[in-house]
Amino acid sequence: MSNKHLLTSLSSVLRRTLTPTSHFSFNSTRWFQSGTFFSPNVKTHHRLFPCSGLDFLEIHKIPGKCFTSSQSAEKASAKCWNCSAAAEAVPFLFCSSCRCIQPVDQSVDYFQIFGLERKYDSVVDNLEGKYKDWQKKLHPDLVHTKSKEEREYAAEQSARVIDAYLTLSKPLARAIYILKLEGVDVDEEETLSESELLTEILEIREAVEEAADSQALVQIQSQMQEKLKHWSNSFANAFRSRNFDEALKAIRRMTYYERVKETIVKKL
Amino acid sequence: MAEPAYTVASDSETTGEEKLSATFSETAIGIDIGTSQCSVAVWNGSQVELLKNTRNQKMMRSYVTFKDENPSGGVSSQLANEQDVLSGAAIFNMKRLIGRVDTDPVVHSSKSLPFLVQTLGIGVRPLIAALVNNVWRSTTPEEVVAIFLVELKAMAEIRLKRPIKNVVLTIPASFSRFQLTRIERACAMAGLHVLRLMPEPTAVALLYAQQNASQNTNTGSEKIALIFNMGAGYCDVAVTATAGGVSQIKALAGSAIGGEDLLQNMMRHLLPDSESLLTSCGLDDIKSVGLLRVATQEAIHSLSSQTNVQVDVDLGNGTKICKVVDRGEFEEVNQDVFDKCASLIIQCLHDAKVDTEDVSDVIVVGGCSYIPKIKSLVMSTCKKQELYKGMNPLEAAVSGAALEGAVASGLSDPFGSLDLLTIQATPLAIGIRADGNNFVPIIPRSTTMPAQKDLIFTTAHDNQAEALIIVYEGEGKKVEENHLLGYFKITGIPLAPKGVPEIRVILDIDASSVLRVLAGVLMPGSHQPVNPVMGVRMPTVDDGHGWCAEALNRVYGSTLDLVTVQRKI
Ligand SMILES: [Zn+2]
Repeated sequence: MSNKHLLTSLSSVLRRTLTPTSHFSFNSTRWFQSGTFFSPNVKTHHRLFPCSGLDFLEIHKIPGKCFTSSQSAEKASAKCWNCSAAAEAVPFLFCSSCRCIQPVDQSVDYFQIFGLERKYDSVVDNLEGKYKDWQKKLHPDLVHTKSKEEREYAAEQSARVIDAYLTLSKPLARAIYILKLEGVDVDEEETLSESELLTEILEIREAVEEAADSQALVQIQSQMQEKLKHWSNSFANAFRSRNFDEALKAIRRMTYYERVKETIVKKL
Repeated sequence: MAEPAYTVASDSETTGEEKLSATFSETAIGIDIGTSQCSVAVWNGSQVELLKNTRNQKMMRSYVTFKDENPSGGVSSQLANEQDVLSGAAIFNMKRLIGRVDTDPVVHSSKSLPFLVQTLGIGVRPLIAALVNNVWRSTTPEEVVAIFLVELKAMAEIRLKRPIKNVVLTIPASFSRFQLTRIERACAMAGLHVLRLMPEPTAVALLYAQQNASQNTNTGSEKIALIFNMGAGYCDVAVTATAGGVSQIKALAGSAIGGEDLLQNMMRHLLPDSESLLTSCGLDDIKSVGLLRVATQEAIHSLSSQTNVQVDVDLGNGTKICKVVDRGEFEEVNQDVFDKCASLIIQCLHDAKVDTEDVSDVIVVGGCSYIPKIKSLVMSTCKKQELYKGMNPLEAAVSGAALEGAVASGLSDPFGSLDLLTIQATPLAIGIRADGNNFVPIIPRSTTMPAQKDLIFTTAHDNQAEALIIVYEGEGKKVEENHLLGYFKITGIPLAPKGVPEIRVILDIDASSVLRVLAGVLMPGSHQPVNPVMGVRMPTVDDGHGWCAEALNRVYGSTLDLVTVQRKI
């Protein structure tokens, strides 16, 4: 494979995943040297996998880049890159005057993409429908015939809407995300220090290992579901009252119960 | 817009963004190259139209006859009778053989076809040959597919009075990425440019989305459909959630089982102890097998509409079959095939996290959809009393491909009939070899595309400085049950006890469905990779890839192994 090809290929991967605002100045050589690839904001699905210390959402904590009140002023001046029409709607992912897909704006959070208030228990009614409406405007398959720029915007926007949808549709992912928006990090791999939770987890693990049949597993599965619901509610309460320690406690539990569920699914 | 021109030949065959630079001035046509029949359709400005050949056929047999120096295919040539196809000179069922090696059970089951399928059992491509003037003339599945693609292209050019370049092709869901490169190779040989390769049931899902969008303008209401598509060579299942013209594929499942298996089981039932005859390459034996094949095929067709059939055939070698076969016998000898069909449906519903009561419509299409047992097993597995009626079972996939061709060509329709989108999912899991000989998926099957996922691995030995990343695609637990896509080596891992270095492997499928594998080494406490990250576009393997895995194993054993990092539950 020619070097040029490799670099071009990689840079196109990165253009989609890296979240740069200036895609076209992106230099793949720089990436090779600095190892930006392994830096925080590369990973969109990082939460699914252990990788200690990498904070994939760091971008959201950059001051001024976030949902502050000055944002609305900033937004009002946003213009379509193609036809220069002023942005008429927030979020501005798509220009309704010329039907052009806009570059990704990292300051627009996942809740804003779906027109939701930034609350943990924001009504996620028909999220899938809204997700599909976005895909119908942003999906790369629909801009095959357009310019390279717009195809890249489509790839980025569409991938981001997928992430937003997957994040908001799952209680645990949503909880971790909303805390990160508040600048609170969740270390999913931290060692357990709460002995009470540790004991409970060991007991559950034993129960899963010793489950006689699939019926027993299904039963544990529904217990986990109950617990998840309970802790999801307590997360909502804690988050509302900005008690982040309590919120983290709920997330730690939800994380473990989710893992038990995954383990059971594999065994079933 | 001009794109960088890549000159590396091996890459120009594969899908990629460079493909996008092709011209889009014309509406892409949809092609369904079936194991036994093929068809072409196009959006004619207001609806999908299937194109007919000079003999007024919409469905053309997928075969190529080799006579003298000029091969000709089923699109253009008229055969005197069915036996001509079975004389040894005609090659067919290539969709079952393309991109497979000679250790593959599907290749072995093709040895009863009335032409030469020679296997050495060493993991290379099988030798395929047609009998021309009493000489076995070798060919390849790609060449055969390319020949009838050339004919389909010529036919479409005559009908549409314009040159044809861009196509959307339907493919089985169970095709590996390696097999897709072979199909693209065949297209390139035929002078066609592939805009999209669509798993057959997802093409049907798009047609369903269009039918629903026109009936129901309410974007909010979502309908779930299960699509079961079984032809001569493959059985595919998809679960799709459709709303407002958008079809989101929730799950896909597929297997290389089809009408061909039903036929072979029935041939063995009609003529027990026929193994040596079926796999013989003698001229008379080929003729006998051909006769048996035709008679069995006719019997199976009859059993779709009647409960028993009289089979009466003289194989010309002293053997005469004179027998009444009933539908029950047919269903019994094919029990395994039917069980597999049901298990694909169950798996697909499970992957989609959908219960049968959530399914609004059950769609059964493909050549096997006429078989009563197929209809009944799909209905009972889905707990439904009836099947969706709005589709022609033989035309659904090609029609969906034509719709996708129109959408991908940037066409719009004043009535919104092309206001459509398919959100595709990965049909097979993709992962690497780790934990001994295990296949560890990184992107699970039925993941929405584009997708990017990663997993952390570590070294299997103390002071291990290098590691092999061997990429597979499939569903098996052991690597050998999956398709090898490629491999590369990570070097310069700092010397450390086993389990300490973190090898991060990232799989990325971009918007053009291009797969890239990236791997780098991290040491604890650092976020910087130790060395430049490796980024390799897959598949990298070419023919004979069965050899590669074995050769790697022979040379390196387990010295460059990786293990997964265990998560604490
Ligand atoms: Zn505009």
